[in-house]
Amino acid sequence: MKKILIANRGEIAVRVIRACRDMGIATAAVYSECDRSALHVRLADEAWPVGPSPPRESYLRIDAIVDAAKRAGADAVHPGYGFLAENEDFAAACRDAGLIFIGPSPEAITLMGSKTAARQAAIKAGVPVVPGTDEPLSDQATDDEVRTVAERIGYPLMLKAVAGGGGKGMRMVASAAELPGALRAARSEAQSAFGDGAVYLERRIMSPRHIEVQLLGDQHGTVLPFVERECSIQRRHQKVVEESPSLAVSPELRRRMTAAAAAVATAVGYTNAGTIEFLLDENGSFYFLEMNTRLQVEHPITEMVTGVDLVQWQIRIARGERLDLDPEALLNPKQHAIECRIYAEDPDNGFLPSPGRIQGLRVPQGPGVRDDSGAYEGGEVPIFYDPMISKLITWGDTRDHAMQRMRRALAEYQVRGIRTTIPFFRWILEDEDFKAGRFDTGFIDRKLGRGPLQPVDSAHEDLAAIAAAVHMFTRPVTNGVAATAASRWRDAGQTEALR
Amino acid sequence: MIFEVAVGERLRMVGIVRKGSLLHVDLDGRTHIVDARRISDSVVSMLVQPDGGSAPSRSIDAAFAHSIRSAHSGQATANGGDFDVHLEGRTIPVQIRPAGSFGRQKKEGAGPQGTGPQRVTAPMPGKVVRVLVKPGDAVTARQGLVVVEAMKMENELRAARDGRVREIAVAEGQSVDAGSILLIVE
Repeated sequence: MKKILIANRGEIAVRVIRACRDMGIATAAVYSECDRSALHVRLADEAWPVGPSPPRESYLRIDAIVDAAKRAGADAVHPGYGFLAENEDFAAACRDAGLIFIGPSPEAITLMGSKTAARQAAIKAGVPVVPGTDEPLSDQATDDEVRTVAERIGYPLMLKAVAGGGGKGMRMVASAAELPGALRAARSEAQSAFGDGAVYLERRIMSPRHIEVQLLGDQHGTVLPFVERECSIQRRHQKVVEESPSLAVSPELRRRMTAAAAAVATAVGYTNAGTIEFLLDENGSFYFLEMNTRLQVEHPITEMVTGVDLVQWQIRIARGERLDLDPEALLNPKQHAIECRIYAEDPDNGFLPSPGRIQGLRVPQGPGVRDDSGAYEGGEVPIFYDPMISKLITWGDTRDHAMQRMRRALAEYQVRGIRTTIPFFRWILEDEDFKAGRFDTGFIDRKLGRGPLQPVDSAHEDLAAIAAAVHMFTRPVTNGVAATAASRWRDAGQTEALR
Repeated sequence: MIFEVAVGERLRMVGIVRKGSLLHVDLDGRTHIVDARRISDSVVSMLVQPDGGSAPSRSIDAAFAHSIRSAHSGQATANGGDFDVHLEGRTIPVQIRPAGSFGRQKKEGAGPQGTGPQRVTAPMPGKVVRVLVKPGDAVTARQGLVVVEAMKMENELRAARDGRVREIAVAEGQSVDAGSILLIVE
């Protein structure tokens, strides 16, 4: 493998470029019109345009991306996450074009991409699933028919998109009265998000934690599970804080959950990186939720606690190498790691997206801190894509140590010109329940329901007023107008010419 | 020089004079001695003398960005502007003007707390996914009015206060620019 094309953008494209560099492999980026100056384009060895800014016209264009890979002379394609990462047609198109797809087979993507088929695969592997419908609900099913099925499963229940992910097409249904409206909304959202309006029903597990198990599978039949990730801190069903290991998982439970995850992956002949998601209820029972057939956003915390570079292993597996990692070491972490997903969203204003130009950026540094980012000072956060701009990861010997480092790193992190979720994370890291590990997937909704985040205290408002006055008072001024960098260059040039 | 600084709920008066290498900053009748060094166009390092302290020693690293929320962003002049102040891990929106300016502004037009019609505008470019109300509908504060999709997320825009929908300026499926009026509540 000499050159890899990265069919993605943002921080994950940068992450994959770095893994390739670490292995001496050349990189080809792809970019849409608005991403010409994006960091992944600037860092790659070469870059190929794939179309206009809307994802459907660029990053989701299978033909344009395969064509770019061929023109670049790439041997392999890394899909990152999102966009085409879980698209079996893309994996097949790569294979048909003689390119190695760095991920599972198209067949595995198809199988695990259907939530109902994946449930059946889990049941066959002897892994418990959340009680629910084994088949998608028929499009023709009347409200009454669906109500009968719902009655059998029991309320409260969840309506979920068969092709789902990221919380789209998902609705909680508390009673029979809510069912028809929720059904319509879920179907329409699923149709527009995934091009497939099929939905199914699952019983709602009360106060669950979201626990997931990272896996690697090589092409020689070895599947290795990693220590679990705790992903219960979610907003609108999107993970926002993850950590590893989980306080809620004992060594004995870890054995059972990781073995169950490996059993599902082995049963479907899974290769490359994947993740099995479980719900863990208050009694310590766990249920298979779904499998993600790609690299996860939150993969760095697993890397930090196990010392394994997952992206490099994706590449090594794709070129046929055998997994020669010590299975015991993967399940016995020596460190604790936390990740905060930094979004270009305004937490003081209903988490509205906050695209725009990053006027200033100060990135946290020092021991135990990693920033996986696609942002830079002067760069634009476009409106067309997911608003996540970076992932901040900290680690330490204990959970407390990792949390303290996260607080330090968040205080150092400064993104100016757009709003980000950094203040929201500072608030979570100070929350007594979070600190004590007392939470489930409803944590953020419950906390936000109690009112706005901590307001800025009056002492800091005073400091801001002083700082603003000092800023005005000491600002370089030319002819009554604040000098810009450009005009001072001009002034310097004129002074020089007069000499 | 005297500034009016709007931060949080309050308007603060800030007087500032240079004394030797230090700045004396008067805030609400208390004087803060500040050793300020400009790091760049948008970053200032301040050492502030704490209460009862003998020298400016509390280190405050302050950075500034043009406000993205304000309609006046980009109109910063030598003596005023709307900024986000970043300090000690916080982001604090600040409006600063030469003394007396805010009073004059108030006379010229109703502020955001006024009682006139509320224009609901798109906070960013996007697509109108759903209009949740009809002209003539009575709405209550925080009631959802319109859903705009941007950056893959659906965002519900809500009424700032009780009122009645006077006019709807957009249709479902329509693309809108930042600042476009979506509907008017009176």
